[in-house]
Amino acid sequence: MLKDFLEGKPLRHPLHPLLVHFPIGLFILSLLLDLASFAFRSTPDLVRGAFYAMLLGIIMALIAAVPGFVDYTDIRGDHPGRRTATAHLTLNLIVVGLYGINLGVRSSSLNELQTPIGPLVLSLIGIVLLSASGYLGGRLVYAEGISVGRHKRRTPTPVQTLHFTARENGEFAFVPIPEAERLGEKETLRMQINGEVITIAKIDNQLYAFQEFCTHRFGPLSEGDLEGFNVQCPWHNSGFDVRTGKVTHGPAKVDLKTFKVETRDGKICIAVPRATEKS
Amino acid sequence: MECGGLHIMKWLLAFLKGQWLKHPMHPILVHVPMAMWPSALIFDLLSRWNGNAMVRLSFYAIIFGLVASLLAVPTGVVDWSGVKKENPAWKIGLYHMILNLAVAVLFAINLGLRVQTFRQATVIEGAPLVLSIVGTVLLIGSAYLGGLMTYNYGISVARMSKKKWRRIAEVGGANLPPE
Repeated sequence: MLKDFLEGKPLRHPLHPLLVHFPIGLFILSLLLDLASFAFRSTPDLVRGAFYAMLLGIIMALIAAVPGFVDYTDIRGDHPGRRTATAHLTLNLIVVGLYGINLGVRSSSLNELQTPIGPLVLSLIGIVLLSASGYLGGRLVYAEGISVGRHKRRTPTPVQTLHFTARENGEFAFVPIPEAERLGEKETLRMQINGEVITIAKIDNQLYAFQEFCTHRFGPLSEGDLEGFNVQCPWHNSGFDVRTGKVTHGPAKVDLKTFKVETRDGKICIAVPRATEKS
Repeated sequence: MECGGLHIMKWLLAFLKGQWLKHPMHPILVHVPMAMWPSALIFDLLSRWNGNAMVRLSFYAIIFGLVASLLAVPTGVVDWSGVKKENPAWKIGLYHMILNLAVAVLFAINLGLRVQTFRQATVIEGAPLVLSIVGTVLLIGSAYLGGLMTYNYGISVARMSKKKWRRIAEVGGANLPPE
């Protein structure tokens, strides 16, 4: 419940990217006021303004860190954006640490007419690192699709991709998926069988398997919302019937591959056609 | 001559879409007004305790927000023009644009009201304060619509990384549309 709130599900919008506007804007404002204090040197107001803008920026950064960390824990372990997210998190901790030091250093010079060199240099370094980190954060959304459409999914998303190897000969390889036994309603598993990436979803106590990637811009269907027999891509809302793979909602135009799920020798198995196997 | 003009237009569109940065520019630039104008309101309220320092800070914050919001306009229009009209996000984008325009005008008027007094004043007068409050409320509404475009409709998402995702899906054995 708390996690849903921190992920912004009731708002249909993640909280972290919303809150970070404040530290980014305020830290830049603080630097501009520092620079203005060199130009004008009339009153200590600019120096003080820079201090207060920074203080408010730090407070907002600390608040933004909480939903940011929750968002981070929800990224699949093997997601290609995971490393970017780790770099983003680490850089942000460094930036906030630097601004904390910066604020402490400048707190003793609030009556000066211009910002001392030490804090000014710290602010310059802070802005450079912050820009880099903000850029990485933006890449997480716009390039990696992290947090996009996640509020539509009400059940947990897969934590890791499972790996299986199909060894049988014949038209189909039946691969037992032990994890599927414990799958909850409207939950999904993401797996790779001989290179093929497949999602299993549980709907009305039945299991359905289909290709992981949406046929529009290849968004992760294992993180999509399940409504009736429909899976909705979290990115651009393309819909597919999980039973047939048919497109039910654009922008996607091409159907999904689907796979048979059968019980064999009391084990839940997925049937992977030999032709699609890669070794 | 015609050809050269077309070339420059194409280059400009690609630039405004943020292709050189591999990141759309509009959501970057809007951080500034989005942070400055609500902060200006906070500084307005703090001026009750901190006097002229806060009055000035609020003034600077409004200016900085205005400059950045003007820069954000062309990038936003270009991103919006790429949304298909049948996509619900098109209408949301339209409301987002109209609201932003209203907010920018409100803060421009707000700034005009402060120009004469911000150097000496220790309190914010009623009219600018009301403009800050109304502007901030509308801005939050508008920014929320902008956020929905990204997080609910995926506008600009995987637009520049489409090739990379296509390759990953291809390796993953997926059915793919023809390139």
